[in-house]
Amino acid sequence: MADPTRRALIAAAAALPLVAVSGCNGVNVLASPPRQAADVGLLQAAIGAEQLLVTQYAAVLRGLTGSGAGASAALAAALEPLLGQHRAHLAELRSRLIVPGGSASPAPAARATRAPAVPAAPAAAVAFLRAAEQATAAAMLGRLPGASASLAQLFASISASEATHVPALDDALRDVPGRAGA
Amino acid sequence: MTEPGATGALQGALAAEHAAVYGYGVVGAYLTGASRATAAADWVAHQNARDELEAMLRSRGSQPGPAAIAYQLPIPVRTSGQAVSLAVILEERIATAYLGLVALSTPALRELGALQVRQSALRAAFWRGSTVAFPGLTAAALAAPRRNPALGRQS
Repeated sequence: MADPTRRALIAAAAALPLVAVSGCNGVNVLASPPRQAADVGLLQAAIGAEQLLVTQYAAVLRGLTGSGAGASAALAAALEPLLGQHRAHLAELRSRLIVPGGSASPAPAARATRAPAVPAAPAAAVAFLRAAEQATAAAMLGRLPGASASLAQLFASISASEATHVPALDDALRDVPGRAGA
Repeated sequence: MTEPGATGALQGALAAEHAAVYGYGVVGAYLTGASRATAAADWVAHQNARDELEAMLRSRGSQPGPAAIAYQLPIPVRTSGQAVSLAVILEERIATAYLGLVALSTPALRELGALQVRQSALRAAFWRGSTVAFPGLTAAALAAPRRNPALGRQS
């Protein structure tokens, strides 16, 4: 006996997988490789932290070049590659973030344009950056749980890079003459 | 319960530690004074890491992979400078191997991997005399264009 309701249900059930498959294809086309939703929040936090470090390094470097002394120039030369690595961190983190059109938050850019207050004396400035590196490296490790595999690897690598900046800053400061008076 | 892929990642890290234990023996032989003492300390660190990985594999019911009798060095080592270069290469490979643990979802393994990537990066930075932006990550794993033309963009 023909049962139109039952027949309609079977037809709907048969159509469902097709809808699901094409839905998946659509998502893949829009955002390849696929990303976990949780990664977006973790990435935004990591991007904010790296932006802050970049502006802090840049502010310290501006202060050092403004003072013009030879020792400051040597310290600035030691800090430049560290800043370059933070810029690389930031670029890589940003490249992993795909935000749907119209929902991009303007907050990080606004933060980046504001110059942070940093100590003026070389020794105090380096100590400030040292603490900032340690805090950022620890926070980056704190983002490992819940991150996708590839993002966790990026966070771990960036955190390790920042951990190596701490002894590099110590070395840079050791090479600055007269740091006791700073 | 062992996560799929965990045993393979642990064996990969163990293989890198076996190679580092062998390699640091060569590194130390070409160094003197403080550098030699540092190489000896790093050698012990890799032995301890190897032992920890072997214990972890056994506790998971897996047979730890053995060390090779000898290893082909990635570069010829006849000078102290070449010995230092070898130490840097060993640490870069160690960091890459431990990033395999970071890719797992088991929190303890991910944490151990991250800790070892950091330790390896610190040792590499000491031997290199400079720092890098992405310890252990290969160019192919990075998406953003690099300033270094040797590292191409991956699509």
